[in-house]
Amino acid sequence: MKIISIITESTNRFFETIGGLMNFSIRFFAEVFRSPYEIEEIKKHMDELGVKTLLIVSITGFIIGLVLGMQTQPVLARFGAELFLPGTIALSVIRELGPVITALIFAGRVASGIGAELGSMRVTEQIDAMVVSAVDPFRFLVVTRVLATTLMLPLLTIYVDFIAIIGGFVAVNITQNMTFPYYISLILDVLTFTDFIQGIPKTFVFGFVIGIVGSYLGFNATKGTEGVGRASTTSVVISSILIILIDMVIVRLTLMIFPE
Amino acid sequence: MKVKVENLNKSFNGLIVLDGINFEVEEGSTAVVLGRSGIGKSVLLKCIVRLIEPDSGKVFIGDVNVLDLNEQQLNEMRKNIGFLFQSSALYDSMTVRENLAFPLKRHTDLSEKEIEENIKEMLALVGLLEAIDKMPSELSGGMKKRIGLARSLILKPKVMLYDEPTTGLDPVTSKEISKLILDMQKQFKMTSIVVTHDMVVASSVADNIFLLENGNFVFKGTPEEFMQSDLQIVKNFLSQKL
Repeated sequence: MKIISIITESTNRFFETIGGLMNFSIRFFAEVFRSPYEIEEIKKHMDELGVKTLLIVSITGFIIGLVLGMQTQPVLARFGAELFLPGTIALSVIRELGPVITALIFAGRVASGIGAELGSMRVTEQIDAMVVSAVDPFRFLVVTRVLATTLMLPLLTIYVDFIAIIGGFVAVNITQNMTFPYYISLILDVLTFTDFIQGIPKTFVFGFVIGIVGSYLGFNATKGTEGVGRASTTSVVISSILIILIDMVIVRLTLMIFPE
Repeated sequence: MKVKVENLNKSFNGLIVLDGINFEVEEGSTAVVLGRSGIGKSVLLKCIVRLIEPDSGKVFIGDVNVLDLNEQQLNEMRKNIGFLFQSSALYDSMTVRENLAFPLKRHTDLSEKEIEENIKEMLALVGLLEAIDKMPSELSGGMKKRIGLARSLILKPKVMLYDEPTTGLDPVTSKEISKLILDMQKQFKMTSIVVTHDMVVASSVADNIFLLENGNFVFKGTPEEFMQSDLQIVKNFLSQKL
């Protein structure tokens, strides 16, 4: 019985959070086009987010390309199709692995950071101080962060895609002797515009989800430092789950719109 | 600006915190709201600026009932109100300079040079000009209060609200903050409401004292009348606090 009540409580809390997130998102779209635009604040956050995640996504991107190449090469070799390896790596990375892995790393690093930062501002009355000084904290703190994550994740994903392709080149050269221009030409033979359409636009959605989840949970944090910790960890969990669910839906939709 | 509160009520989950509060603070005077911790003093202060929405009642700042204002009108009104938080509430990702510049950049048309001059002038008033480039994490509790006060006053508000200005400070620093409140009061001639349970602050700054108990004021009067009051609850409060 206790397990059932725990499950019921967790489910209720999950749907409450989703409902809260929907309202928070509606408010974001209502506020995002209203001045003041706080351009400097958005640039500052984009800069911070980029610096915060650049090293980890670089390492991860390179290893993804390398491992993907090493794993796929023996399979293709069985069919004598090793020349398809660069294209296979590029397709996998650009369509799916690059966007999703970058988004998950970004969620781990950034959603938790936003959740903790805003949560801490909430419990130390800094958000109240903003309200009293006639500054809308939603616009200053939330809109700027959500815009920064929404714009930064696609840029990081393009960068990770490139790094992963470099990793793939290293993997190819473990078993074959291939020049970089030839490697790239084999990729360009396979890639189409549709592949980019399937990979990059969804990262705007992932970036938005990461920003809005971290901001929502931080902005509404309660119960002191315990609440801050919970906002931070829950931000990662919820944004990661949402990224995977949304990816599934977007992949299905893009395959319907752009059939192979 | 005069502050007048009429029949203000606030409860949380059925627990009545403010039960028909009435009081008035004359323009340019300082009222101190005393009471035990957790009795609802901060709730009263936050209801005045609508950080907490009261259940019913009226809060007049000047001639305007702030509870009738829409968001835009309320923000215009808030530019006339300074609020010193219990925790100082300095923006911890900004330097002291940026903390003080924050309201000026958003609510005035001052040039960068004028903003800098204003910041330095205000920091000099609270005696912390040397802290201008420090982060809040590098400041002591007393310094944070001073900077918080400087930030609250930088728009030259007509009404100033202090939420437990000396909580967590040692007696010497508490006296310094009390003196600073008094000095600022003389300089800016604001209408002030100080919420505290610290009698040192109360006796130094108050023109009138209000003692809050069970959701309403059980004493209203001057500091002298408070000290001489025969009310048992006042005597209990004084015996514990002095």
